[in-house]
Amino acid sequence: MATAAAIPEVFVRKSSGLVRVMSPSSAFIYNVLTMGLIFPWTYLWAPGALPGGQLVWGILLAMALEIPIALSYVWLSTAFPRTGGDYVFQSRVLGGGVAFTLVFSGFVIWILQWVALSGWLLAALGFAPLFLGLGAATGSAAFVDAATFFTTAEGIIITSIGNALVAMLILVSGFRNYVRLQRVMWVAILVSFATMLIVLATTAAADVPARLDAFSAAIGGSPTFTADAIAAAEAGGVNLRPEFSLLATLLVAPIAWTSLQWATYSSQQNGEIKSAGSFRSQAFIMVGALVLTGVLLALLAFVLERAIGSEFLYVAGAGYWGAADVSLAGSYLWPNIIATAIANNPLVTVLIAAGFILNAHQIVHNCYIGMTRVMLAMSFDRLLPEWVSRVSERFHTPVNAHVVYFLASIPVIWLYNTFTYGEGDGTVTWTSLTLGVTFACGYVFVATALAGALLPFRAKTAYEASPGAAYTIGGFPLVTVVGLLGAAFGVVFLYLFLTNEQLGLTSQLAYTVVGGVLLFSAAWYLIAKTLRRQAGVDVGYAFREIPPE
Amino acid sequence: MPLFGRRGSAKETTLFFATDVHGSERTWRKFLNAAAFYRADVLVMGGDVMGKLAIPIIREAPGRYRATIHGRVERLETEQEVQRARERIGALGFYDVVMDEDEYAATRADEQAVDRLWRDLATERLARWIELAEERLGPKGIRCYVSGGNDDLLEVMDTLPREGTRSFVGVEGQATPIDDQHVIVSLPYVNPTPWHTPREAPEEELSRMIDAALAGVTGFDHAIFNFHAPPKDSTLDTCPLLDASTDPPSQVVRGGQPVLHGAGSTAVREAIARYQPLLGLHGHIHEAQAAARIGRTLCVNPGSEYGEGVLRGVLVHLSDGKVRSYQMTTG
Repeated sequence: MATAAAIPEVFVRKSSGLVRVMSPSSAFIYNVLTMGLIFPWTYLWAPGALPGGQLVWGILLAMALEIPIALSYVWLSTAFPRTGGDYVFQSRVLGGGVAFTLVFSGFVIWILQWVALSGWLLAALGFAPLFLGLGAATGSAAFVDAATFFTTAEGIIITSIGNALVAMLILVSGFRNYVRLQRVMWVAILVSFATMLIVLATTAAADVPARLDAFSAAIGGSPTFTADAIAAAEAGGVNLRPEFSLLATLLVAPIAWTSLQWATYSSQQNGEIKSAGSFRSQAFIMVGALVLTGVLLALLAFVLERAIGSEFLYVAGAGYWGAADVSLAGSYLWPNIIATAIANNPLVTVLIAAGFILNAHQIVHNCYIGMTRVMLAMSFDRLLPEWVSRVSERFHTPVNAHVVYFLASIPVIWLYNTFTYGEGDGTVTWTSLTLGVTFACGYVFVATALAGALLPFRAKTAYEASPGAAYTIGGFPLVTVVGLLGAAFGVVFLYLFLTNEQLGLTSQLAYTVVGGVLLFSAAWYLIAKTLRRQAGVDVGYAFREIPPE
Repeated sequence: MPLFGRRGSAKETTLFFATDVHGSERTWRKFLNAAAFYRADVLVMGGDVMGKLAIPIIREAPGRYRATIHGRVERLETEQEVQRARERIGALGFYDVVMDEDEYAATRADEQAVDRLWRDLATERLARWIELAEERLGPKGIRCYVSGGNDDLLEVMDTLPREGTRSFVGVEGQATPIDDQHVIVSLPYVNPTPWHTPREAPEEELSRMIDAALAGVTGFDHAIFNFHAPPKDSTLDTCPLLDASTDPPSQVVRGGQPVLHGAGSTAVREAIARYQPLLGLHGHIHEAQAAARIGRTLCVNPGSEYGEGVLRGVLVHLSDGKVRSYQMTTG
């Protein structure tokens, strides 16, 4: 039995020690920001591709299924409270080859696509609505033209590269500059999200069509926008009143997982978090952030559907899914654009846009912060070249890793916005692989959940010394139960991705890219291992625990 | 000749370096086993071998004890539970001592008694570690060179030099050959810290200590500096800036954010820049695992995670006055 000590009965010696810089509340914020309250796919992809699916229940289901995965990370983080996250957890429990292949492919390579998505979010959900709203408020065609520019491939590519470049320069100049920015982002996003919720929740549903029409007219579009959009969707064969579908609701969850699977991203920075070894702190940081974000996303779905109605939600989805030409000057009807349009107020426009712009930009910071640390760890392990891990004496940051990641993101940005394959009905765009990054990062999270399940058996000492060892069910480690549950739920998500064309990953292109990235990573590991061995370095030493006895 | 292999036939020395184990039984045992595990010829311990926390196992009644571990009071009802608790405490890098209630209260109230307790516990553990080193490494003919760091009490470290050991070599403040080619020079002192630890010195004095330790050393291209303090602003020393006017020291926050800085020594940096040794081995800043070059000298801080029972280290292959390769390890 154990109880908390009022005054710890220990003798402490005056000595130097490690000081961690990130408070649990900062890590909590970091996770909420990483999960991206602004990620929009659930709200249009699901109604477009999954008629009969219930958004709110799909989001809450994704949140519920993510909880055991997040709990698994809580145990792992308290057992290994140091920087590295998935790569450390998997390499310690599953071995170096598995860890490198999964994390290098699923994270380091696929997260390059998140750099592209961040640029797309910035252009399409940040700048475009800003200029659209300002155009409607001022009657300026130049603003509307600017808004349209940010929905074109050229506009998105320029924005994406600029976005990645600015983030790289900020992070290279020092981590503290980012942390300072994070506070501003946090406030701006909360204000933006709250503004959007208030607008959607307080506007009478009966008033929405007229407001959308007025907004459309103000930007030089059709004054009967709503009726035109409904007619276009019906002409495109879209059923605006589908019956409830359990399967479609289930398939909403993997799309919502695009946000909620990032509940545990702070584990990449465990070495910088105060009380990282505390079970309660880690539960607050990861599970707490997950529940808060899940509830907020479900709330947004609820007020969106309440405001515009289920029928018009399918119209908006049809525009995004390509079944009908439904857009406002090139912008699809994302929740923030609908809120901007029905408010039609310059202050509301700026408040909503500021949050989306900052959150979109923050995503690329997360990509760099997390992946450069993983690359440093892989470089120290001699699986990436030594120069990747060089840290600038002036800035105390891994400049080379940042530059490499920025350069590698440019071709992915180009592919995401321009690549098409095939002809006619068989045409496949890279955009259809948007959720490929959810799938790829998903298999990393599943493997880590499995590592959590195996923790008491494969890393016995670290587990027994951790506070999580106190939690058992009939003597059986609780982490094994939640880890297996989390891995099983994750496998269900992965299976749904691979077998349902509505999620975009069943094309030949998708299979080739997903499989190719995995094979490339495995080959890299084997080649690096062989070359290092010839140079007298055994990369296995980086992962293998020395037996103490 | 292999395509990416090593050239030349000069004898190669494989050195394994770890540091800042802070009393952790588990990491010390791993350190001794690292020689066989990594096929190293030489082991070097960079300092801070003493623990920071002692946990009294307080006897409440015959067969009933309590101990505060991880901030929680654990009740121990059997000798087996006591033994398991002692093992856990040792793995975490702490000392344990079994005391009656009265003895604990008296010790706690007497600062000198606490000092004596620290000295006795650390000396006893160090002696046991030396015996273990002799037992495990002696038959294999592997040498283990050990220096202290700033957190180690002088009176405890005075017991390092031993007569008649086969493997264990205490090397504080002196130059010691480790093979036919290389010499290691060790310095446990560091520049002043906000904690005012036992072995700190102003930069000028540190400079004099370095010069004294280097007296008689020739051929710096085969010299290894095992200086506990990392060189200033080398990335081996990046950590939060602390305010020394508070007890314990607190983070300096500007613009709402902690300020990071290089806490290393300018004297160490100047010595490396001036003498250009083959290799610099450093510790002290646990969170700053890094490698950097100052001129021709490769400087490495493998960092420390002793609290989790993880032995961080670096494996370095040396020959012909060159570092052929190095690899950070997490054992």
